[in-house]
Amino acid sequence: MDRLDLTIRIAGENGEGVLTVGDVLAEALARSGLHIYTFKNLPAEIKGGASMTQVRVQDTPVRSPGDALDILMVWNQENYDIHVGEVKSTGVVIFDPDECEADESLELTQIGVPLQKITKTVIKTMKSKNVLAFGVLTTCLGIPFESAKQMVAESRWGRRKEFLESNINALKQAYIYVDDNDIDLGLRVPVNQRNGHAQLIMTGNDALCMGALAAGCRYYAGYPITPASDVMETLAKAMPRVGGVLMQTEDEIAAITASIGASFTGAKVMTATAGPGLSLMVEALGLATMEEIPLVVVDVMRGGPSTGMPTKTEQSDLNLAIHGAHGEAPRIVIAATNTEDCFYTAVKAFNLAEKYQTPVILLSDQHLSQRAQVMSRPDLSQVEVVERKQPDGNGSVSPQEFDRYEMTEDYISPMPLPGRHGQHYVATGLEHDEHAHIDYSPEAHIRMTEKRHQKIESAVNEPGFVQRYGAEDAQLGLIGWGSSEGPILEALDRTLAKGYKVAALIFKMLHPLPEKEARAFIESIPVVSVVELNASGQFANYLQGRLAVSLQRFNIITGLPFKAGDIEEYIEGVLQYG
Amino acid sequence: MAEVPAADTAKTGAPERAEEAGQAEQANQTKQATKRTLKDYRSEVKPTWCPGCGDFGVLAALQRALAERNLDPRDVVIVSGIGCSGRLPEFVNAYGLHVVHGRALPAAQGVKAANPDLTVIAVGGDGDGFAIGGGHVPHAVRRNQDITYIVMDNQVYGLTKGQPSPSTPTGMQALRRSVSMPKMAPYEGVLEGQLNILAMVIVYGCSFVARTFSSQATEMAKTIGLGLDHPGFAFVHAMSPCPTFYNTYDPWKESFLPLPEDWDTGDRIKAIDKAMEEVGEGVFHSGVFFQEQYRTYTDKLQDVYAKAYGDEQATIDALMDQYA
Ligand SMILES: Cc1ncc(C[n+]2csc(CCOP(=O)(O)OP(=O)(O)O)c2C)c(N)n1
Ligand code: SF4
Ligand SMILES: [Mg+2]
Repeated sequence: MDRLDLTIRIAGENGEGVLTVGDVLAEALARSGLHIYTFKNLPAEIKGGASMTQVRVQDTPVRSPGDALDILMVWNQENYDIHVGEVKSTGVVIFDPDECEADESLELTQIGVPLQKITKTVIKTMKSKNVLAFGVLTTCLGIPFESAKQMVAESRWGRRKEFLESNINALKQAYIYVDDNDIDLGLRVPVNQRNGHAQLIMTGNDALCMGALAAGCRYYAGYPITPASDVMETLAKAMPRVGGVLMQTEDEIAAITASIGASFTGAKVMTATAGPGLSLMVEALGLATMEEIPLVVVDVMRGGPSTGMPTKTEQSDLNLAIHGAHGEAPRIVIAATNTEDCFYTAVKAFNLAEKYQTPVILLSDQHLSQRAQVMSRPDLSQVEVVERKQPDGNGSVSPQEFDRYEMTEDYISPMPLPGRHGQHYVATGLEHDEHAHIDYSPEAHIRMTEKRHQKIESAVNEPGFVQRYGAEDAQLGLIGWGSSEGPILEALDRTLAKGYKVAALIFKMLHPLPEKEARAFIESIPVVSVVELNASGQFANYLQGRLAVSLQRFNIITGLPFKAGDIEEYIEGVLQYG
Repeated sequence: MAEVPAADTAKTGAPERAEEAGQAEQANQTKQATKRTLKDYRSEVKPTWCPGCGDFGVLAALQRALAERNLDPRDVVIVSGIGCSGRLPEFVNAYGLHVVHGRALPAAQGVKAANPDLTVIAVGGDGDGFAIGGGHVPHAVRRNQDITYIVMDNQVYGLTKGQPSPSTPTGMQALRRSVSMPKMAPYEGVLEGQLNILAMVIVYGCSFVARTFSSQATEMAKTIGLGLDHPGFAFVHAMSPCPTFYNTYDPWKESFLPLPEDWDTGDRIKAIDKAMEEVGEGVFHSGVFFQEQYRTYTDKLQDVYAKAYGDEQATIDALMDQYA
């Protein structure tokens, strides 16, 4: 039997409920033991405008949003016109014949289901249109009515008992209509009982929050910004449950400086933002580098510049994350690749921040942060948590004798904490000596600059931040970072299966740069191309500057994530035509 | 290791002393035995201020207030932004956090939120607090954390050598007294209106608002002490002349008056009136304009914890159940 792989899109007017249908469908399929990957494309408005949600379902982990559509459900003409071109030749369009006219010239299976009319005349509560649409989809997927009923009962539609009956009725009408009209797409999506608590359905932002808490984060300060706000909202609920503090500050500058203050006392701290907020944080990032204060800053990248495209995705804050500083303020920059990785990368971000006493920027992006995926529940007993180096227990060293910025072998010095250690000192953003005293002498500046740089450079040896995939004797190598991993690896598998010799190198650490791995990859493959969601090839430029090599690029700036198909086509293009 | 070793380090709970238990007890005894004096709060670093700078007076007053309360330097964190006044933490024998220009308040709030047992003092200049950092003041007031904020107001930018600040008088009668403000406002004096810092803070809803003058040492130590004792956000407007760039010593000595003896510190509207009248009358009042005790951020957090987890904090595993 073929692998299960269906991409289903539902599109309608924003605010009408299409997103709910997508969410419930994704959750229901995930609870039935399948793997899902959602993708939403929203207008900037709260209500109105065309919006769509997409669910890709497979029986193995899903790595990208899906290429052409197997099923498209549209609620009106505008959305029909926008999306019908993306349906596979073997795909199906489900449309409301009272709301839109199908283009008969298309060689597609097009099925009219009068969603609006059935809701008005048969179900009689407009709210249930969502459930009706859901039912049409589940029956088309070959899911038995009893299973679908249980899905509805377990969903948000089942939460309020007084609505459950009318919702189940709406579901039933869907099954009746489909049955009466002999609609059968021949699909039999296997749904099983939910597999206990072993699988979690999370967005990237959810996973990131849980990772942060698991790493010991107990202070969060932030200012709302799409698409990072859910981090704050999730933590607003979760943080107090573990005894932590969450503060919504008046702006991002306050968010980062308050986080620095909290970390100064020993708390593990985080703030999350998007590009505009990261821009405001730049000065204080330098302060944290200078004072050697552990700090995790999450940047959920969106389309820029300026206010740009808040609800779209892009990998375009890399320059800012790595280089955004006055003076020279090295910091660690890492990127997460998928939902599950958001959890573990968040843990690593804290561990790196604590170990190296430095700000760590964790890059995510709109698509990664908001799509839902299925992941295995992390085994928390296996999660390693690192604590920062502190003065040893005996309080006999006086503050006068103690060197906060002692030159140790690894350039990392014990950090005393107020209230806890008697070695009080003044952390300052002014250049200082080992003793934390202000010192502008050439010697002090040279020593401390070296300390700050060497400390960060040594983080390049941390394991697990760069990974090679694919053919040993590749003709084409793709370099990617962060969330383009999934589509790159899917495209790699497809083209390897077709006999192409391709390889990929995926970076999760961007600064310090794993130069050795990068060079070995680039020098061993005739053509190497950097695949990223930005216009100028920010990572490509950075690699070229560091390694003095010449690289190809594959960039898109549609505001949408890569499709595996985009990259597959690119690979074939390069290898067939050079 | 899932059960994060969280609540033990310095976080939201009481910090643990780093010494062995026995040592801690010993330390405790000595702590009770020692009566600290002003000198115990002097650091090895000699102040870098110009001779005659008002900030010397503020420093001494703060050290005296700390000594009177016999606070252990390890439990005191002084947070500052940038400016001549921002250098103060360096000169105090305690923890200090010297951040970027204008951000002393957010940093101080982070310190206090993460460890409410610390005595947290924010200090800085009029520019630091009411120009670049002005947006943070109302929010620090709204959170009402137990922080004392001392603004050392010299009505000028000292560190950058004499530009006008938000509290510089309009039209710059300053011209007479300032050697370098003419650089910035050479024709007409300062065009912008003068901010009434004290009135603003009272209007924001601050729970403790006082003014004091660096030349009145005893009174200043007392006022700062009252601020330290106040459970909530305490604002101390410490007038502190800059003899180098805007020498206001002579006029201020004449214009400083104590608040009336029967002043009612519980009436916010009267306090605003008083602060507003001063400008026209050309006087400064010293003393506590307004004080009222409200529940602090830390108090309110206890209610949050009571609702969020009750007796026992949630495990991370339990938090993840909602995604199953
Ligand atoms: C972001 C930033 N902008 C400008 C400066 C330069 N700067 C340092 S202190 C200062 C003003 C200081 O005035 P005030 O806060 O009144 O402190 P004072 O020196 O008078 O005590 C300025 C503009 C800076 N350090 N950082
Ligand atoms: S410039 Fe003015 S404020 Fe700065 S130290 Fe000198 S006198 Fe004090
Ligand atoms: Mg000033």
